[in-house]
Amino acid sequence: MIMFPVFLLAALFFALVGEHFIPPLPWLHEARVLLMPVVFFYAALAVPAWATMALAFLAGLMWDALAVQVLDTNVEISLGWSILLYASLGAIMSGFRPLYQRGHGWEIHCLMCGPLVSLMVLAEFLMITVRRGEFLFPQVVWWRIGGAGLVAMMLAPFVFLILHLIAVTFGWAAPQRRKVAQ
Amino acid sequence: MLVIAVAGLFALSPRNTQRVQSAFLGFIAPFLKTGSTMQTKFIAIREGLKTLPQLEQENTQLAVENKELKATNQMLRDLAVENNKLRRALEYRERSLFKLVPARIIARDATTWWNTVKIDKGAAEGVEPDMPVLTEDGLVGKTTVVAEHASTILLIADENCKVAANVEGSREQGIVKGERTSTTAIPDLGLNFLSKTADLKPTQKVYSSGVGGVYPSGVLIGVVKKFEVRSLDGHATLVPAVDLTTLEDVFVVTGRK
Repeated sequence: MIMFPVFLLAALFFALVGEHFIPPLPWLHEARVLLMPVVFFYAALAVPAWATMALAFLAGLMWDALAVQVLDTNVEISLGWSILLYASLGAIMSGFRPLYQRGHGWEIHCLMCGPLVSLMVLAEFLMITVRRGEFLFPQVVWWRIGGAGLVAMMLAPFVFLILHLIAVTFGWAAPQRRKVAQ
Repeated sequence: MLVIAVAGLFALSPRNTQRVQSAFLGFIAPFLKTGSTMQTKFIAIREGLKTLPQLEQENTQLAVENKELKATNQMLRDLAVENNKLRRALEYRERSLFKLVPARIIARDATTWWNTVKIDKGAAEGVEPDMPVLTEDGLVGKTTVVAEHASTILLIADENCKVAANVEGSREQGIVKGERTSTTAIPDLGLNFLSKTADLKPTQKVYSSGVGGVYPSGVLIGVVKKFEVRSLDGHATLVPAVDLTTLEDVFVVTGRK
């Protein structure tokens, strides 16, 4: 029973490792390919709320452990704020779980990944803006926020397909085509 | 439970935050190193598929380049000897050389708004937080989080990396820092707090001044691209001396010889 959430945790970790080797996209104003949130939002659909929160904690902690900057004796943004971000966005995604269980998984995952990933990147930018001062919002910022969401939407069906096949193998989820069979 | 755990993390001191980061960096570093090695091998295979004429041309080009570099190296050595002689004559302290730890970049930043890279050297090799990092071309940044065999480098292109600098051929001093939202793939740097009358010209070189204690003086930071007068100060845009997007090997300055 616990094996699939553990597998998802490993998938989150390797998605984070993988992100480091994907360069920013020059055709989208250097927007980043964010794999870990795409995997996390699948997890939020596929596993119950308690497991989503546990994965949000670990995903947020891993992200902050790599991204947060400690300069001299100041922590720019406290370790743990990404956990809140992952938990709140994961809770939104978790609300669509009944649709996933009825066989509408990949559409929901694809449609929601875009805005949620963009929201995540926007939240990061707002956080550093508040911390550093100067309210700068040039066009490139919006491209990077929107671009990250767009790429996440493009990746979502593939990530869904792979993870869902594994979920079925683990006996965690019924195949999505069940709806068609009915 | 989640809220209590997050509250606990929020309450961590900067030192403990760095410890958590260092522990996680130590854990993830072997995976990043493996990924980096695989990436290098993949690129090597892709680049290895060259035709014989291409290889011959490359070989000729490298031979010429090698001769040029040897000549330049000899000239620089002569100049260094002459410079030290003159310094001694002027009773200046002979400029000591840095103790350098060579390191390879194992991963680039995966975040949108921060500019950092990970290297394969850490505390075991003598690296500590806040040590300057450079290449033969100029300044790269400084170390922040240090694990046993890996470290994070804050690049000069990051807004949080501030370097006291002076401009070649003038008495102007200022602070170089990165831009939060660079519009180009190779980010520009900003040189702030110059006097309004500075009137810097394009291609003038900017060096670290050594003020602040982290960065040694005389390390090339970048070249002036344009200068503008703002309401309170003068501001110059710089092109970094080091191409931060294609960086592969760096040196950490662990002290002086």
